[in-house]
Amino acid sequence: MESAVLKLPSSLRTISPKPNLTNRTLRTATFASSASASAPSPLSTDPQLGPGSLGHLTRPDFPILHQEVNGKRLVYLDNAATSQKPAAVVDALRNYYELYNSNVHRGIHYLSAKATDEYELARQKVANFINASGCREIVFTRNATEAINLVAYSWGLSNLKDGDEVILTIAEHHSAIVPWQFVAQKTGAVLKFVNLGEDEVPDVEKLREMITKRAKLVVVHHVSNVLASVLPIDQVVSWAHDVGAKVLVDACQSVPHMVVDVRSLDADFLVASSHKMCGPTGIGFLYGKSELLSSMPPFLGGGEMIADVYLDHSTYAEPPSKFEAGTPAIGEAIGLGTAIDYLSAIGMQKIHEYEVELANYLYDRLSSVPSVRVYGPKPSRSVTRAALCSFNAEDVHPTDIATFLDQQHGVAIRSGHHCAQPLHRYLGVNASARASLHFYNTKEDVDDFISSLSDTINFFASFK
Amino acid sequence: MSIPTKITISSLFHRSAAPFFNPTKIPTPPHRLFFSKNITKIISSNQPVLSSPPSSSSLQRVEELPPKLQEIVKLFQAVQEPKAKYEQLLFYGRNLNTLESKYKTTENKVQGCVSQVWVRAYFDEDKNVIFEADSDSMLTKGLAALLVQGLSGRPVEEIVRVSPDFAMLLGLQQSLTPSRNNGFLNMLKLMQKKALQLYVEAKRGASPSSDVSGIGDSTSGDGGVVDSAIGGNLNEDLGHTSVLGSRGRRIEEILNKELRPTAIHVEDISYQHAGHSGVVGSDGETHFNVEVISEEFQGKSLVKRHRMIYSLLQDELQSGLHALSIVAKTPSEAAAQ
Repeated sequence: MESAVLKLPSSLRTISPKPNLTNRTLRTATFASSASASAPSPLSTDPQLGPGSLGHLTRPDFPILHQEVNGKRLVYLDNAATSQKPAAVVDALRNYYELYNSNVHRGIHYLSAKATDEYELARQKVANFINASGCREIVFTRNATEAINLVAYSWGLSNLKDGDEVILTIAEHHSAIVPWQFVAQKTGAVLKFVNLGEDEVPDVEKLREMITKRAKLVVVHHVSNVLASVLPIDQVVSWAHDVGAKVLVDACQSVPHMVVDVRSLDADFLVASSHKMCGPTGIGFLYGKSELLSSMPPFLGGGEMIADVYLDHSTYAEPPSKFEAGTPAIGEAIGLGTAIDYLSAIGMQKIHEYEVELANYLYDRLSSVPSVRVYGPKPSRSVTRAALCSFNAEDVHPTDIATFLDQQHGVAIRSGHHCAQPLHRYLGVNASARASLHFYNTKEDVDDFISSLSDTINFFASFK
Repeated sequence: MSIPTKITISSLFHRSAAPFFNPTKIPTPPHRLFFSKNITKIISSNQPVLSSPPSSSSLQRVEELPPKLQEIVKLFQAVQEPKAKYEQLLFYGRNLNTLESKYKTTENKVQGCVSQVWVRAYFDEDKNVIFEADSDSMLTKGLAALLVQGLSGRPVEEIVRVSPDFAMLLGLQQSLTPSRNNGFLNMLKLMQKKALQLYVEAKRGASPSSDVSGIGDSTSGDGGVVDSAIGGNLNEDLGHTSVLGSRGRRIEEILNKELRPTAIHVEDISYQHAGHSGVVGSDGETHFNVEVISEEFQGKSLVKRHRMIYSLLQDELQSGLHALSIVAKTPSEAAAQ
């Protein structure tokens, strides 16, 4: 079925011996005591973060990480905004343009056929990665934002009526809120928002209550880009389906960091962006159940999405083509496919386990810094946090922190509202700082960050 | 011309914190990529966006800046080490007078800032502009303090002539991220716009020392180019007020009163028509160029707008005004130029 040879990225040679290393590491873990003198962390077992950790092993694959910024070693902690790309992905893009760039689907000649094969292979890889039923359930878009807009304009406008409800949380990303505001204005549908509960996580009980017969759609994040909380999507989906509502899952912060299985979640729609999962920018995807996609009217019109075009009307192609007007981001899609290969070779489960350790370590160290307040739930045996922390320091503006960290320490974090203004308004702040990790970050990155942060806070405190 | 005419605020807003990747320009070892290169290099390659004549890349000379601003620039130039510059900046910020919360309004807020910044402007008795500012971020407060100290107490013409280039003269932008820098530039633009608004208000005869929140259309979104329209007028007015005769002044007064324009320019071009039949027997004020930017034109066709103006000036037309060349725009149309 797959006509092209699946070329494993060369960098994976460093990955393959890993299984032995992991076993060794795991065995050591049972004997060694987690010895972190400054911050006792019952949840993080140091040995998994020590030398030979996933972070240390994969760092060499990411050329961009090996540089200095303002005279200091770059510590890149803005992965929730965008991830870095392994050399394999960069090479894939380059190869595409150097060897077989050609427009897809319509050409007869050799280059075009090869480009088409690789492009469709990438689609298949995405489908496999999230365990979709088939590659026709994957629509390539520019990014997750566009994917959500697609659902809003195509499914939303033709299925929502006056009085219908769309249930969201106040922690949603703007891209999951604003398109639905457009739809609400046009159709008369009503948007309802679930607030946070006591542990700074969206109130799941309240969410359940709000999914009534009037609800037609539930739009929720899988992992919050500010709170680092994880929602029980499978439960949400079952509550929604009980009342005949559909569920759109914003998986931007989950797909890159853990196993996401759309069939076990039974999500109706799911969106993600390539650039957050080690793939190039400019490409993302919408997963939609085939029967849904088949029933939806087109979104953008143009070439590729048509069957026949007359002067006064046209007929349309089947999904996914129906939703992919114009020449797509071919090289980028292929790059995304390569990113998926890279991630799969490591294993999403492995990535997730490492990141949970790192997440706990980050949380413990950050919350031990005096005057720092971290948002979101406290990690525990039952509560997993994503490897990111949004926080504020008393009396120091997050922008000041981010600027100083960058200028004086080469540490890259983000400051602002992280495209979650309603959430920040609810929390009563204008902005927050956020450090977010990915599997190529190491314990040393976290340590660097914490010591730089302390220095920064002290600097500003001395001016008060 | 020192007034930036083509700067669009949007380019200043949306410039992301990460400079664009431009490997060919960077003569450094291969793996030292864009971020490690001095930000000045990248800023200077962006310079055409910032400096007033888009083609030239010369900075406004220090000597052309208001005196206190010159001092500040020289001070920062004397401090080499980035951390010391920060300390200096924070020191300025700490000494900034607090802004009363009643002035922290939307009209006073600087757009495009990651932190919150407010700027207030009012005239003193000598029609010099006094500024006050505040921010919740200490670094931004420092930047605001620089501008307040550097520009307060100066006349409007001097303030609007300050080119944003001077941010580079400070050498601070090497120590500040581009998005922070944008906030700085936007602060300056807002201060310049407020200074102009005070001027326009005063010209219209409104209370000169009142705060001008809500005057004009302004979201700072089109502030940049509306600035230039007002600024252009300002320069013209400063040159031409003595040239308008009684009719010219009446025309301006009537149009100001009835159309409440955000910008208006009346130019007597009768001299161009001297000698032709329409001029004979009049007092010389026969032909005018009139440019008006007003919300009153919203939703009206070109013909309707011209009719509006003609009907307002009926009396003049019947007493010797021969011809009007009219440009009538809404504020958003003017900004879209």
